[in-house]
Amino acid sequence: MSDKQTKTSKQKYAEVAYYPGCALEGSGHAYNRSTKALGKALGLKLKEVDNWNCCGAMEVKNIDPKLQTYLSSRVMSIAANKMNMDVVMAPCNGCYHNLKRAEWDLENEDKSKEVVGQLSQKAGHETYQAGQVETIHALDWIKDAIGEEGLKERVKNSLKDVKIANYYGCMYTRPRHIFPEKDAGPGTESTSKPHFMDDLLAAAGAENVDFPLKTACCGGAHTLSDSDTSTRLVANILQTAEAAGAEVIATECPTCHSGLEMHQIRAAKTLGIKTHVKIIYFTQLLGMALGLKPRAVGLQENVSDSFAFVKEKGLT
Amino acid sequence: MPIHEKSLIRPENLEVHEHLEIEGVDVSGHWSTFIESRVVSDYNEALEDEIAALPGGEHIHRCWQCGSCTNSCTVNELNPDFNPRYWIYLIRMGMESELLRDKDIIWQCVSCHKCTHVCPRDVVPEGVMKATSHWLELKGHTPKSHSMIFDEVFSEQVFATGKIEDGRVIKRFFKRTGQALHQPWMVEMVKGMLRNLPLGLLTRMGLATLVAPKTRGWGDARAAIEEYVEEQEAYRRKALGLDDLVQAAQREI
Repeated sequence: MSDKQTKTSKQKYAEVAYYPGCALEGSGHAYNRSTKALGKALGLKLKEVDNWNCCGAMEVKNIDPKLQTYLSSRVMSIAANKMNMDVVMAPCNGCYHNLKRAEWDLENEDKSKEVVGQLSQKAGHETYQAGQVETIHALDWIKDAIGEEGLKERVKNSLKDVKIANYYGCMYTRPRHIFPEKDAGPGTESTSKPHFMDDLLAAAGAENVDFPLKTACCGGAHTLSDSDTSTRLVANILQTAEAAGAEVIATECPTCHSGLEMHQIRAAKTLGIKTHVKIIYFTQLLGMALGLKPRAVGLQENVSDSFAFVKEKGLT
Repeated sequence: MPIHEKSLIRPENLEVHEHLEIEGVDVSGHWSTFIESRVVSDYNEALEDEIAALPGGEHIHRCWQCGSCTNSCTVNELNPDFNPRYWIYLIRMGMESELLRDKDIIWQCVSCHKCTHVCPRDVVPEGVMKATSHWLELKGHTPKSHSMIFDEVFSEQVFATGKIEDGRVIKRFFKRTGQALHQPWMVEMVKGMLRNLPLGLLTRMGLATLVAPKTRGWGDARAAIEEYVEEQEAYRRKALGLDDLVQAAQREI
């Protein structure tokens, strides 16, 4: 505990437990690659959570929220008790949200605590206790460990002339009660108008457009089970970004990212709504600004093709 | 923006007569529209308790009917009939038949958490939507929604191996819902992926679909989870009186 109190977040976040989660090993691999490449370029250490499991995601939460709490608690238990880490960084909005939800649940709901205790014992690992680790998002990680000034010093290819709509999605800010550190005064993240991604990309030279749908829903939960609804929600996001003058939508969640990519194609096919805005992870944009090659940040792993665009902007 | 509310007067209950005289008074035409009286006689007094017994529905009793949930709702914007406040009202009043009129859309909640974010009473309306769609399925009012099937396919894999591989989840989901994997937009997407991916990576992704990623030493966790799931299912069956229903049906046969 004394460690936590004396270390500044700059020192604390210089080496964190890294929880990629399932999506980052599959459809969101570009986010995994670019997060690791970015960390390396910035001299930040990532220690992957040993033998991790799924956080439970929305799907297990829908079946039983206490089971999702247990699954997330196992990840945090390994980081705290086996790896002796006090910070877990999860770039995926879903994982980040679920670890936060589990933390809140364990602190506030006795029944959940009881279920997690029983399951952990039967599964043969130490029970996670609320407060053992701090869960952060990749945005917190870069923002606190490096900061805007630190980024500015390291930029090799400025993102100037790149007009960006920053898209945060649902899970990063809602519901507010599981994010007690947000809305906590100057310098903290806002749940109604998040700005960490805007701040970082602006530090790398980008021009952020005034985008009103930063925390709108892309319908990611039903991207396959109710595709028509998701397509309508995504088409609205894409068209609004274009109307705001954006050339790129910067993303910070693998589900949002692949949802935007998939439904951009689907909106053109089924609704006749064609949009040309590029969809790129913020870690890919920051990596290229630091001088990393597009392939080093996994641009080839995106479904949408942004190679010609980044070349035109001088980011190669 | 005002909250759109479905009119409580159903069109089929409105009556207009071209020529009608009652006790010497002419009541013809639009200005004398009649509303057929509506009597609710089939209250399910246990409805609120049944929803509260399902995961997510625990806090429904806290609701004050302020309507913040409906006002913030993502799906309500697309379909004004999607009205969480109204459904919570119906459930608490026990008006089951009125609730069943909307049974085919309740599962469409996208879990964006806008309602839970703004709810001043911590009702967790998003959870209530999940509980209600589970209830509709458990009671046999609706078939399993595609959303539920997706949740099941996903959770089965997590419980079995500790992790999921998204390609495998997608394939199983399409299979279980009887949909063809070769949707035109899906083909377009795969073409987009093939354009840029090096062969090595494609092979690795293909392998991941064949050999599921696993958490090592997951066996004990799996057994513990499965035991818990079974206990919970038994509890829910009891709370909803499903076993009694089945027994009653068997006696009739």
